[in-house]
Amino acid sequence: MVTEELTLNIGPSHPSTHGVCRLLVRLDGEIVTHVEPIIGHLHRGIEKMAENRTYLQVVPLTDRLDYVGSMYANWAYCRAVERLAGIRVPERAEYIRVIVCELQRIASHMMGIGSSAADTGATSAFLYAFAQRDLVIDLFEELCGARLTYNYVRPGGVSFDLPDGWVERCRAFTAQHPKAMLEIDGFFFGNAIARARLKGVGVLDPDAAVAWGVSGPSARGSGVDWDLRRDDPYSVYPRFDFDVPIGSNGDAFDRARVRLWECIESCRIIDQALDQLEPGPIMADGLPRLLAPRPGDAYDHIESARGSLGVYLVSDGSPRPYRMKVRSPAFCNLAVLPLIAVGHTLSDLLVILGSLDPVFGEVDR
Amino acid sequence: MSSLLLGILWGVAGVLVIAGGAVIGVWWERKVAGHIQLRYGPQQIGPAGSLQMLADVPKLLFKEDIVPSGADRPLFKWAPLMAFAPVAAAMAVIPFAAGWAPFDTSVGVLFFLAVPSLEVVAILVAAWAQRNSYAAIGGLRAASQMIAYEVPRTLAVAPLVLLAGSLRPTEVVAAWRWWWLPLLAIAFVVYLIASIAEMNRGPFDLPEAESELVAGYFADYSGMRWAIFMMAEYGAVITASLFAAATFLGAGWPFSGALGVVALVVKTSVLVTIVMWTKWTLPRVRQDQLLRFCWVVLVPATLVQLAIVGVVLPWM
Amino acid sequence: MDVKRDRPVVPASVSDGPTGDGLVAGARSIAKGFAYTARAGVSKPLTVRYPKEKLTVSPRWRGPLALRGVLGRDEIPLLRAPSYAYNETIDGLYRADRLPPCVGSCPANVDARGQAYLIADDRVVEAYELVRDRNILPGVLGRICHHPCESACKRNFFDEPIAIRPLHRFAFEEYRKVRHERISPFPRTQGKSVCIVGSGPSGLAAAYDLLKLGYRVVMYERERKPGGALNTGVPAYRLPREVLYEEIDDIVGLGLELNTGVEVGKDVTLPSLMREHDAVLLAVGLQQSRILPIPGTDAEGVVGALEFLWSANFKHEAGVRGKRVLVIGGGNVAVDVARCALRVGASEVRLACLESESEMPCHPWEIAEALDEGVIAMCSLGPEEVLTKHDTVVGMRMRSCLSVFDEMGRFAPKFGDETTDVPTDVVVFAIGQAPKIDTIVAGTELLVSGRGQLVVDGTLFTTSVPGVFACGEIVTGPGSAIGSIATGHEAAVSIHRYLQGLPLDGDRVARPVPVYQKHAPADTRGIESNRRRAVMPMADPEERAKDFRQVELGLTRQEATAEAMRCLRCESEVCVGCTFCARTCPDYAIKVERVDEAGARCLTRYDLDLTKCCFCGLCAEQCPTKALHHTGQYELSFWHRDLMVFDKGEMLRPPTGTRATGRDGISPPGCPVPRREDG
Repeated sequence: MVTEELTLNIGPSHPSTHGVCRLLVRLDGEIVTHVEPIIGHLHRGIEKMAENRTYLQVVPLTDRLDYVGSMYANWAYCRAVERLAGIRVPERAEYIRVIVCELQRIASHMMGIGSSAADTGATSAFLYAFAQRDLVIDLFEELCGARLTYNYVRPGGVSFDLPDGWVERCRAFTAQHPKAMLEIDGFFFGNAIARARLKGVGVLDPDAAVAWGVSGPSARGSGVDWDLRRDDPYSVYPRFDFDVPIGSNGDAFDRARVRLWECIESCRIIDQALDQLEPGPIMADGLPRLLAPRPGDAYDHIESARGSLGVYLVSDGSPRPYRMKVRSPAFCNLAVLPLIAVGHTLSDLLVILGSLDPVFGEVDR
Repeated sequence: MSSLLLGILWGVAGVLVIAGGAVIGVWWERKVAGHIQLRYGPQQIGPAGSLQMLADVPKLLFKEDIVPSGADRPLFKWAPLMAFAPVAAAMAVIPFAAGWAPFDTSVGVLFFLAVPSLEVVAILVAAWAQRNSYAAIGGLRAASQMIAYEVPRTLAVAPLVLLAGSLRPTEVVAAWRWWWLPLLAIAFVVYLIASIAEMNRGPFDLPEAESELVAGYFADYSGMRWAIFMMAEYGAVITASLFAAATFLGAGWPFSGALGVVALVVKTSVLVTIVMWTKWTLPRVRQDQLLRFCWVVLVPATLVQLAIVGVVLPWM
Repeated sequence: MDVKRDRPVVPASVSDGPTGDGLVAGARSIAKGFAYTARAGVSKPLTVRYPKEKLTVSPRWRGPLALRGVLGRDEIPLLRAPSYAYNETIDGLYRADRLPPCVGSCPANVDARGQAYLIADDRVVEAYELVRDRNILPGVLGRICHHPCESACKRNFFDEPIAIRPLHRFAFEEYRKVRHERISPFPRTQGKSVCIVGSGPSGLAAAYDLLKLGYRVVMYERERKPGGALNTGVPAYRLPREVLYEEIDDIVGLGLELNTGVEVGKDVTLPSLMREHDAVLLAVGLQQSRILPIPGTDAEGVVGALEFLWSANFKHEAGVRGKRVLVIGGGNVAVDVARCALRVGASEVRLACLESESEMPCHPWEIAEALDEGVIAMCSLGPEEVLTKHDTVVGMRMRSCLSVFDEMGRFAPKFGDETTDVPTDVVVFAIGQAPKIDTIVAGTELLVSGRGQLVVDGTLFTTSVPGVFACGEIVTGPGSAIGSIATGHEAAVSIHRYLQGLPLDGDRVARPVPVYQKHAPADTRGIESNRRRAVMPMADPEERAKDFRQVELGLTRQEATAEAMRCLRCESEVCVGCTFCARTCPDYAIKVERVDEAGARCLTRYDLDLTKCCFCGLCAEQCPTKALHHTGQYELSFWHRDLMVFDKGEMLRPPTGTRATGRDGISPPGCPVPRREDG
């Protein structure tokens, strides 16, 4: 019998591409023989746009890098600016940043777990995760008025102080969240069909993960024990006690479940941070409205929900960055897709893509 | 001549029942899914959003009827009706009340098993006609899946026929005794699972898997043609549930007459709800897992059931 | 802790799921799934509230933007003093973070925003009176104040601050034309009398407040003319004395009984004053110059700054004609002394201070003006010894100073080994002043500390004897005139409370003056000249250094009106058309169209393109007046139309005149102001 490979374009507009990615796939029946992610559909030239805006005006742009985790891009950018301009951030602002970024990690991981669930057809598990995400987003809305693009972390601090009663509502959230996570664990990760769909699918071995620059939960699922919060401590993270969950098989199941456990650990960090939070200023003193750092360059990275997110800034002494470069974890993570997806079925391909949890705003920039 | 008129009359009635059932079914599915997913579902139009479909149906009617440029136009246009017709036809042999079915034939059970299976042809036609890779994959998946699950489904009904000693649905209902329930439990469960697979619903909705194939075999359909596919799907859910309620669960038992019809409707609704509940609870299986499940679990289970009935039969 | 123990523990590897493999475990897990969804189906949704519950708008809802208030139609609430209501208003504004920065950073909370508003509205006399409520001598302070308000001005962020101090002076010049019509004594309603010793700014401020509250106020002054340090210490080229006397005359006209040439402790005694009056306020200031305990200071030719300034101001002769003068000190007084020395004929004036150029405690504009006039500054030098010959000064040995402050910021100078001999004929020590109150307090039970300081409560201004209060530099140490005025106001509140039998502290809030950093010079490239600050015309440096003529010449009426229009009316919720929102917008979503022709009706239209808006909120955050708000009307995403519509009254107004308060604060048409261009 003569068979022919079927070439299929998945995306750029497709329910499971998590944004606008195009996967050029060749299929032998249901089996994927070749996959090539074609990116750039969401390229807005943010790095170039940053060169024409003041340092403050760039912050809303960074919101739109990883729109599922805007706080991270805000923070990474602000850290680079602060390093460049030599700004000392008040301690309260650092704590608030840690709190909102851990909340953001939860919100983002809910998206990651949710998409793992939705890709396997478990829409309910997706929505259970999203209910938790909604609670976080409500907290953020109270904090800064926005639900997705927060523009909250600013060079020198944060834009608003915590409103009245926010700390209590945040504690209420972290009190119920681990329980909800364990329920989702039992409901989805314990389900026989979900296990059959996720286990052994898209196995990424640790050496390949390191070689390809995969970071974050996607690497930790393969057993790469690397977390910037612990291994290159920044901000006030050294003051917190937390564990870094790792997987051993490196399959889609491990990657998704690492995210689930990270959420539980994030609650632990938030609780400690709320305990240690003290009143004080939230913005560095004497910050001019128009920042114009001395000529030079700075790089800083943080552990975002997707991995190591870095921002490199060059200043020529003017009030606008000379160059901004974003080291995007989603981009690096996406690169391993052909490596781990070939040989699986079409259904698995999308599960594997979802388990890498790319956000194309950040991939394409 | 009169039989032709009667046939037309029953056809129209069947279409109306299915259409009405689909309208209510869609609303009910949205409510069930909503509550399961920590939402409310429709709630704006009418009490608890019950009139939502009154708004949705005109919307679907007035939507543009798009035919893709490369499509095989006649097949593309006829495919939805080809999908709908077998489902409507299957309604004819359902014994709604004791001793009464619209089309009471001696091969009713066989008719019910065979005619809806024609849907696979419609699906293949639709998939082919669209000239769309997703639809093609969806159609092929549907074909393999529906043909495979015919086997356990038919085998699950076989014990019933054995017990009743007839292929006439009204006679099956008449012969039904309450102890058939525990006796045929395995067959009932297998029948339900196989039916879900037959009607391409979750967790066996691979042919239309949203996260993979967008909408599978009806990816390029829009407006009313799409709605007819959906109606066929809901019609399949309703007919399969009606048949199960009538034959496995004893139709109007423990009541008779009008109350019996009510009991049948309630049983059917419960079955429909269970089908929906399943869809919103379980993740989707993969194609290979789907087929393995059919041959490794369902078919042996029905054979076991047949054996049990075979053991019981001489004692009756 | 319990919470910590309840917390789930991270498994060593997440690969082992919560359930095992196999058919039974699988079936059980599926059954559990059904149970879970069933439970979820009957439970109440956690997050979905609408429409079952009414949504409450979150405190920081960000939606489309709307301008609240229409340009120019809203009156700005003016801060009038003195009253409790005033203090409460200020406290409330502090707490609500709604105080304009200029008002908040002024020690006396002078309503500079209200002043600019009234001047721009051509109500200059009202502006003067508004300022006088808190700043008792606007004409004087308009010449000599160190204007912390301007340092805090929000316009610093964008271009240059508002010229608040020159506006005080301009308001005074306008007011003095009509002052005779405006002055009438305050009615005496209280039947109690207060005696104030000293007629310096703090005493006058307290006197004004007490007069306004209805008390009889009697003031004693040692000199023949009132004014305290303003009279004796401030050089006349900065402050013409007739301005000072006129403003004090006004206060006398309001009911103050001023006795000059009466020295308390000699002509009258404090105990007798305490018997005569219900309360006594000591506002005597610092009378003594400090001189360093180094060898040679008793030689002829070593003088203190106060004595030097006194003779320079009143006799225009300080015995330095043709001589070389060395001024020790880096503060404002030292600069005053140096500039006075030039004016009384010194052949060469040097200024030696410990601090480096950037650390000098005097205001940068002061030293700049002095350098213009020919003063030679010698920085980072500490006085070591006065070189004498036959008991006459011939020079000064200076030692190099490495650092003045230690790491903690305390005064702890470190000296190097290098010494320099500076030949000079006269050495003036301008290193600080000390109080001299022993004769005043004689015969009373007032406590005086070992260093000659009066013991005073720094927030309530009470002394160790009930009924005796103190204010001014005797409490705060050497400081600014406006700081002294602020203590005078506070002391007046204390006296009022004391005389009314109210608790002195009560709910009074100690309001520390917020410290605003010095702003670097703004980058004014590309800013239209009519946006920029009015330049104070100055007398020619060569000429002015020869006599005591005024250095600053004052603003013209047009300049002052235009300057007042530059005010951003911070926190007033009135759009002033500053266009900063448009300039901050990262997406260029706000477009400003301005009809800006001379003589034409001036209208600025703000166009918010919501297809470009990214809802980052930066525009509303930076709006200086808080006129730009985020609202919760997510669906109603259009701009308020009334911004673009003239009302009837507006149509009937002539296109000139009061426009400035209104539609457009940037460039009033029909008011072409000559400004300096870039370069």
